[in-house]
Amino acid sequence: MAYSDKVLDHYSNPRNVGSMDKNDPNVGTGMVGAPECGDVMKLQVKVNPDTGIIEDAKFKTFGCGSAIASSSLATEMLKGKTVDEALAIKNTEIVNELALPPVKIHCSVLAEDAIKAAITNYKEKTAKEQAAVTL
Amino acid sequence: MDYFSFFGLERKLTLDASRLQQRFYQLSKEYHPDRFAQKPAEERLKAEEASAILNDGYRVLRDPVQRAEYVLRQEGFDIGEQRSKDVPPELLEEVFELNMALEELRHGDEDARASLKEAHGKFVAMRAAADEELCALGRRYDETPGRDALQQIRALLNRRRYIRNLVAEVEKELA
Repeated sequence: MAYSDKVLDHYSNPRNVGSMDKNDPNVGTGMVGAPECGDVMKLQVKVNPDTGIIEDAKFKTFGCGSAIASSSLATEMLKGKTVDEALAIKNTEIVNELALPPVKIHCSVLAEDAIKAAITNYKEKTAKEQAAVTL
Repeated sequence: MDYFSFFGLERKLTLDASRLQQRFYQLSKEYHPDRFAQKPAEERLKAEEASAILNDGYRVLRDPVQRAEYVLRQEGFDIGEQRSKDVPPELLEEVFELNMALEELRHGDEDARASLKEAHGKFVAMRAAADEELCALGRRYDETPGRDALQQIRALLNRRRYIRNLVAEVEKELA
């Protein structure tokens, strides 16, 4: 199957590959996977606690080209967004941007799941911190 | 058509392999095309259909993994479209770490091959352990059928699928 130019671009030159300290209270980590194809995707966001804006995003994905491209694009989309804006990102945006064929749509769904998991993790962390402060 | 009842077997996850094979041979004879060559078209067609079910069913039932997936599907579990919400987070961590190790080995030096072989042995052992666990869970389900047992089996099959992929990855590297 032929990949679109955009997928190939992200695949051969992935943006924001790497990882951040998951114990950092400002870092949210999302780990998702699809057993059927064996993909695993880790996506992390670093949030400025004062502004609620995502300052950095990193990912590491083991999977097919579309899964790598989807998560690479996701990290680009995340930077500069607020956590709530990030939660509103839909997989269809990734599908359109990368021109993913129907058989690869699940890769974009995985990326959306990863974003949600990372933000949820960040929110849980801050909620816990606040609870600790009030105690 | 339920494969278990087609074969005249009890619907159990632990299946007597020799009994299954025996039934397969019996039914194969029963529906053999030669026996229907002179029969009316309608009967011939029915026998052909039965032969097809027989072969599909035998392929599914004789393999413990496919058999478990078949029962899960019958019980309303979605098998094809699994997403991470069905995978325990510890497993994702584990698979991620294993992939990281595999990647490091790939980019490594001459020692990588030995390490890859070692990793291969480890993954194969993990797969064997998963197969044993599948047997144990199957026995438990047969004794006391319930959603809990099926849920556990499904989680195990997810895990096994990841391991199977890792084994394939390493074998590709070693080839």
